[in-house]
Amino acid sequence: MNRNNIILIISFILLVFFQTLVFNNLYLFGFINPMVYVLFLVIYRFDYDQTFFILSSFILGFLIDFFSQSGGAHTISTLTVGFIRPIIIKNTFVVSSEIPGSFQNENRILDKYLFLSSIIGLHHFLYFVFVYFNWRAISLIIKNTLSTFVFSLILISLISVFYNKSNDS
Amino acid sequence: MQRIFSALIHYRNAIIYLILLTISLLYLNSNSNFHQSQIEKYGLYFSQRIYNLSYSIKKYFNLKKVNSDLFEENRKLKELELRSRSVSLYPKDYYPLRRYPFEIKKGNVIKNSFLNQRNFIIVDKGKADGIKPEMAVISDRGIIGIVKAVSENYSSIISILNQNLKINIRLKKSNAVGTLSWKGINPLEFQIEDVVRNTSIQIGDTIITGGMSSYFPFGIPIGKITDFEDNSKAGYYTINAKLFEDPSLIYHVYIIENKDLEEINRLQENTLK
Repeated sequence: MNRNNIILIISFILLVFFQTLVFNNLYLFGFINPMVYVLFLVIYRFDYDQTFFILSSFILGFLIDFFSQSGGAHTISTLTVGFIRPIIIKNTFVVSSEIPGSFQNENRILDKYLFLSSIIGLHHFLYFVFVYFNWRAISLIIKNTLSTFVFSLILISLISVFYNKSNDS
Repeated sequence: MQRIFSALIHYRNAIIYLILLTISLLYLNSNSNFHQSQIEKYGLYFSQRIYNLSYSIKKYFNLKKVNSDLFEENRKLKELELRSRSVSLYPKDYYPLRRYPFEIKKGNVIKNSFLNQRNFIIVDKGKADGIKPEMAVISDRGIIGIVKAVSENYSSIISILNQNLKINIRLKKSNAVGTLSWKGINPLEFQIEDVVRNTSIQIGDTIITGGMSSYFPFGIPIGKITDFEDNSKAGYYTINAKLFEDPSLIYHVYIIENKDLEEINRLQENTLK
């Protein structure tokens, strides 16, 4: 088991704990709980096994649901984003001649943020769709998605900078 | 078998995703009453759609029976219609049990020629269904011909598109009597002869059957006048007419039996003797 895998497992466990104990109780402006655990979907290396990735994103979502007593919306949105992540990778790093091995190895800021925001945006949108589960609440879904998206993006990009550094050293 | 396995391995991500998605949906369903009722709502919607689809498919395959039922109903209505038209010929016959010698049977056209000068139609009803020669054949909006020969299950009909067939008609407005025959080119264009000069006719007048041939009952609408020529010297009009229905396109026909036909013919023979 190499260093990368250990970092991945430790961050998986830490993300579950921080999400359920800290970020789920933030209630910024009364209703925003940033979902930082989506970071796992970003830092999982692009060239690792996809099947295992789907399974682990399912387990991640399930654990979050389990600890925060929410129905199954985290599971479904995390699982779905995990499943279609290869498509997102292919489309956001479209300019590069070859797709990077991991998010941390990529240097172009624009591509990185495009990838990051499409993963987070899609995840949040799916999450709120399954929370409200009613097309009449579409305005509520979009409003929640956008506001949570902003804070999740800020937090995740801050933490991912930290990952870059730790990876380099 | 190996191909199945290799396909399973190839699509393992999608399969695992679908299995896990089902599990999480079940989890969602079991955890929240709101989602449960919502999922039930969607399920009801989809099952309704599927039920509607199967209903319309069933309805489609039922159409044949519905069609034949409607045809039977039309036959009864046609009989009533002809019976009600006959009033003007027998004005004193208003009581309900009055004698009406015509009876209607159904038939389907299986062969219809219309390119020759003398055309014939074959209908899928024959001796077994009570069809006899010299019965009249009509359709929804016009007349078709006269039965010529009958076999056990089929009968052949001299089409109205046959220059040998001459049909006794009247003009609805002026009651003038004439003879209708096919011109031989367009299946809709007909010619009327023997209309006496001293009647007033107009373009657009309706032509109905005359009721004098003992084949066709009185009052079946056939067509209308398109134009006419004034043959002053001969004392007759030559009238061009157009049928309401194209006889080359019909499928369902009604065969009319005149139960008094034999009696009339016998009487005619006795008179001539």
